[in-house]
Amino acid sequence: MNNLKLFKRQTVNELSTFYSFLIGFLIAIFIGSIILLIQDKSPIDTFSLMLRLSVGSINSLSASLNKAIPLILAGLGISIINSVKLWNIGAEGQIFLGAIAVNFIYINTQINSPSIHIFVLLVAGFVGGSLCILIPAITKVVFGVNEIITTLLTNYIVFGVTIFLINGPWKDPKSLNFPAAAYVGEEVFLPTIIGKLSFGFLICILFTILAHYLKNKSVFGFEMRIAGGSAMTAVYAGINAKQKAFIAMLIGGGFAGLAGAIELLSQTHRVSTGISQGFGYTAIIVAAITGMRPLGIFLVGSLFGALSIGGSVIQTIGVSAYIADIIQASTLFGALIIQFFFTYQIKKVEND
Amino acid sequence: MIDIQLIGLLNATLQAATLLFIAALGELITEKSGILNLGVEGMISIGAVAGFMTAINTENIFLAILVGVLSSSIFASIHALVTVILKQDQTVSGLILTILGLALSSLLGKNYVGRKLVTKLESITSISEPTNIVEVLISQNIIFYIAVLLMISTSLILKKTMFGRRLQAVGEDSKSSDSMGLKVAKTQFIATCVGGAFAGLSGVYLTLSYVPYWTDNMTSGRGWIALALVIFGGWKPYRTALGAVLFGFLEALVPRLQTYGFELSPYIVKITPYVITILVLVILTIYKGGKTGAPKNIGVPFFRENR
Repeated sequence: MNNLKLFKRQTVNELSTFYSFLIGFLIAIFIGSIILLIQDKSPIDTFSLMLRLSVGSINSLSASLNKAIPLILAGLGISIINSVKLWNIGAEGQIFLGAIAVNFIYINTQINSPSIHIFVLLVAGFVGGSLCILIPAITKVVFGVNEIITTLLTNYIVFGVTIFLINGPWKDPKSLNFPAAAYVGEEVFLPTIIGKLSFGFLICILFTILAHYLKNKSVFGFEMRIAGGSAMTAVYAGINAKQKAFIAMLIGGGFAGLAGAIELLSQTHRVSTGISQGFGYTAIIVAAITGMRPLGIFLVGSLFGALSIGGSVIQTIGVSAYIADIIQASTLFGALIIQFFFTYQIKKVEND
Repeated sequence: MIDIQLIGLLNATLQAATLLFIAALGELITEKSGILNLGVEGMISIGAVAGFMTAINTENIFLAILVGVLSSSIFASIHALVTVILKQDQTVSGLILTILGLALSSLLGKNYVGRKLVTKLESITSISEPTNIVEVLISQNIIFYIAVLLMISTSLILKKTMFGRRLQAVGEDSKSSDSMGLKVAKTQFIATCVGGAFAGLSGVYLTLSYVPYWTDNMTSGRGWIALALVIFGGWKPYRTALGAVLFGFLEALVPRLQTYGFELSPYIVKITPYVITILVLVILTIYKGGKTGAPKNIGVPFFRENR
């Protein structure tokens, strides 16, 4: 009798993640098309409209890349933390606390040089993100509390604090219908490069290179991988695994916090609930789909930024913006399914 | 004569606890088989919207419960396919299940936001305003009693039946279970779908009784608290129920604090359940010192080595 059996492949194609992503994306577009058809909308019209309005002109392209900034930065943070085999589900909260930290420093300091002022505020955002993950990091490293749940719960806590601030101490009396903090002064707005493309995109490129170097080329990156591997290896190598995990978490949180700072200084210009629209969650997809590779995160983050812009503009023709979220999540599910065929082989074997 | 506010508090505690408990119990069953499903939040959301849509369109409450439960179960089978059959990372798959579930339910429920139920899930007796403890206990809706039944039967099934023993064996040591001739993949697949069905029941409780209406992201982290409850309960049904009552009590108590004379910002009140969940997890981990009672194979994909 013939039987199907599963074998693990000896070697996995180096580009398997990339191929899985591509095929996963096609699967997702297919699923998106079905949903559109059910809703009596033409998939071709909708997708071509999305494409045109997200990358069709300098303005729309720069809007897409602006949207990509938080996805990429938060995704990079997640990938750095994953070097020690830990998960950061709290990027959403870190983005908000980054923005809160920026506003806090902005209110409480006087700096005359705009460029130094902006620099200080960006640093504040980074520190804010690190602070946000501090408690999950301490509880993980010292007590071993599951970081997935604690980082996720901090999202709800920070969001609650944001709502509290913009309805209470920071409430701008001029903003009547939409609770928000007062706008920051124009002198600290991030400049634009081309069209509406924010200076934040250059920061994003810089941090992508930084994360790539940190993860793959630096001694610390090597130590992080050891620390994330077996506990015994780390002991033999004389590496303090807990310390590496702690530092990795603070850096990763800081990346997401920086994203919040850039959102505030280049997009919203004030603390409101609009600082992040689920960027921290989409960033998880971006990071996971690329196998936690910084350069991949940059590319997929840019694509997903365009998708989000496309998703928000098609609302005008009565298509739900959630279609973009569904395509993003389905891409990862599709990629996971395809990845299986790269890692395993199904063979017919004779039963004995 | 017991204070009427206290009775109200008890009633609200049981309702909040029911919601959390059913989802947690489902996750407990899934995790017992060695599969971690972080998609609870998304599964509750799918069950909630599917049940609500059915209730609006058919006005048949039992059909609504059935559809909600089945939808979540089918939705959970995506996780089962990806992790059990295709052996991919359980953390990634579960997280995406949550994101996909929230997005999909928002998309489906778009035209149902703000609509009112004609028939909501009512108390099984005619008492709508209980005045004593007995009346509280006999005036819940049907899902509460189903939850109690599920608690008792899950505990019995896990302890006393062959199926329960096998389920746990698979979660503790899938390799040995496999060589003993147990069907590892089948068991894990079923356990994941059962977990989804329970989350769906929790979801319909949310939209047909607890709230009852539909808005985006109305699960507001309850799926994650349910995940924490499984850890809290040490993977034991009764202790998980105890945890659910404790958290339900907090969820019910905090908004009432003002009536007891505490001045609190409502925005700060809202975040307390999440703060307390973290605190409880920390205290529990310190107290147990690593011996959490988690199934040994949790999160590890089973792959039969071929020679």
